[in-house]
Amino acid sequence: MSKEPVAVVGVGQTKHVAARRDVSIAGLVREAARRALDDAELTWADIDAVVIGKAPDFFEGVMMPELYLADALGAVGKPMLRVHTAGSVGGSTALVAANLVAARVHGTVLTLAFEKQSESNAMWGLSLPIPFQQPLLAGAGGFFAPHIRAYMRRSGAPETVGALVAYKDRRNALKNPYAHLHEHDITLDKVMASPMLWDPVRYSETCPSSDGACAMILTDRAGAARAPRPPAWMLGGAMRSEPTLFAGKDFVSPRAGQDCAADVYRQAGITDPRREIDGAEIYVPFSWYEPMWLENLGFAGEGEGWKLTEAGVTELDGDLPVNMSGGVLSANPIGASGMIRFAEAALQVRGQAGEHQVDGARRVLGHAYGGGSQFFSMWLVGAEPPDS
Amino acid sequence: MPEVLKAPLVVEFPFTRSLGPVQSAFLTGLRERVVLGVRTGDGRVLVPPVEYDPVTAEEIRDLVEVAPTGTVTTWAWNHAPRRGQPLTTPFAWALVRLDGADTALLHALDAPGPDTVHTGMRVRVRWAAERTGAITDIACFEPYDGPPGEPARHTGAFADPVTGIVAAARLDYTYAPGRAQTAYINALTGRRTVGERCPACRKVYVPPRGACPTCGVATSEQVEVGPRGTVTTFCIVNIKAKNLDIAVPYVYAHIALDGADLALHGRIGGIPYDEVRMGLRVEPVWTEGARYPDHYRPTGEPDADYDTYKELL
Repeated sequence: MSKEPVAVVGVGQTKHVAARRDVSIAGLVREAARRALDDAELTWADIDAVVIGKAPDFFEGVMMPELYLADALGAVGKPMLRVHTAGSVGGSTALVAANLVAARVHGTVLTLAFEKQSESNAMWGLSLPIPFQQPLLAGAGGFFAPHIRAYMRRSGAPETVGALVAYKDRRNALKNPYAHLHEHDITLDKVMASPMLWDPVRYSETCPSSDGACAMILTDRAGAARAPRPPAWMLGGAMRSEPTLFAGKDFVSPRAGQDCAADVYRQAGITDPRREIDGAEIYVPFSWYEPMWLENLGFAGEGEGWKLTEAGVTELDGDLPVNMSGGVLSANPIGASGMIRFAEAALQVRGQAGEHQVDGARRVLGHAYGGGSQFFSMWLVGAEPPDS
Repeated sequence: MPEVLKAPLVVEFPFTRSLGPVQSAFLTGLRERVVLGVRTGDGRVLVPPVEYDPVTAEEIRDLVEVAPTGTVTTWAWNHAPRRGQPLTTPFAWALVRLDGADTALLHALDAPGPDTVHTGMRVRVRWAAERTGAITDIACFEPYDGPPGEPARHTGAFADPVTGIVAAARLDYTYAPGRAQTAYINALTGRRTVGERCPACRKVYVPPRGACPTCGVATSEQVEVGPRGTVTTFCIVNIKAKNLDIAVPYVYAHIALDGADLALHGRIGGIPYDEVRMGLRVEPVWTEGARYPDHYRPTGEPDADYDTYKELL
């Protein structure tokens, strides 16, 4: 029996900011869920199940958020699941929800991810003082910067590429009312002049710490037929994982990421992603991960990703726009960041992305990764339903 | 087999919580010796209050004062109070339905012994002397045989409301690194780095984890690696991390010890930070009493060829 096609009929986000002191965590997730329901013109009663995700429990110290948040998400008397895959969780949460619809377990599912970084401490949560172990010697960016240097060595990319990505994403964010950073006076010179924190990573090439939530309403064919606005259709979705450390691990282009993308393209019948995909929302926590992931995702050959960035191909008006929303570099409520990528991909193919809409976007990729390049989750959404 | 290492691991952090309108009113009320519930769509009064109706999912904001007296609906005796619990002497954990409420609140009940506690018994709030706007403003409940309290009709609006709390979390673990890491750590005391080789793929894991993550088979063959190695990649740290007492800038590097198939992490010293490069040959520098090398310094050998370490970045 074939799978039920899955449609995104509602998207809701909070305005991502450094600190939402006016709301509880319940109030924060509620705001995103309410906006997704409003977008879909549905009520709580129309939801059959709720699938929620957030980053590791230690971040906020709320050990069972799904239990605490059932009231706020209208989940009482319904199945409620929590997904937990580190930084990729927003993506895998959406995919678990989508699979419930595809398998015809539920007709309409609310999926949501959040983080309230102002009430958490991600750095502490990730570097517990494990006895006998050597402490991490470098802070947050120190984990990523050596991999970026490895990419630069391997690809021969000029040193300016990271700054170009940051400059592009921050300008894109100015067109997205939900983005955390709105740096109206951003210039390439300012990015280049920002302090070098973990050489080769500059301050302006890092992501902010944000409070925010993102929600989507996923539904079946019948639900999509009732939708007030054009749905986004899932054309392919996949998750892959691999150990954080093993002999032969390639941090520059992890095997799990390549395999995950290949699976998505196979499901969607994509043979030339560079030509057949109209845009991508990619999880780029440090600017250099744009060219790295362009290669990992098959948009460019090995060592060639930076050329797309440098040539302006990934700009909002380029022929493969990347992170039209401003990306993780402009808003990073960690647990939600992956779902924001997935949701922004859906907004693009629905024609609902507002000022950062890519004209005629028909197929857009949403991507998330996390846990030291351990988990990958991706989906490709389209303006037309999959062949079935 | 030598004894496997164990050590305590205490994880604690003062998490902050923004309260939102309902919890703000509830906790501010406690500070003012007022217990507030919230009325649901079907007319029930929930204490402690919630922000969203558990039946209809609608937002609920109709705050209702209830009495500081109530009835125990169920309980369990706590023979040995632990750190951070409301009382230091044995007490009952009790669910108390306050007069005027439809749900019960969990708190401590101060009673002389389990024989004196029963479901249906009447109790009242014992207020803490110092109140800050926290659940601990109720010190505990205590037995009470007077008439039900008379709640005023407080609206829940307060001057100077509490908007946030600090919720200290603490977890106590016993951490055991396991057989393979114990052997590795023990070898370090002799300033030797000992990994384990996978019997299937022949890769040498440092530190060893007792199994090969690629092949999924146990490892047991011990292999000494190093002490020299190659810097495979690195970053220059210019920003001081809160918990580290290292002067910036310094170089944080991935170092493939000779014979290892995985890079370790370490600091590079004995060379200006801006002269460190991929391929630099280094050796460990130990300090007295430290478990790990303090840093790695150049050996003076010619740099390693990129092809020899490009798989070990």
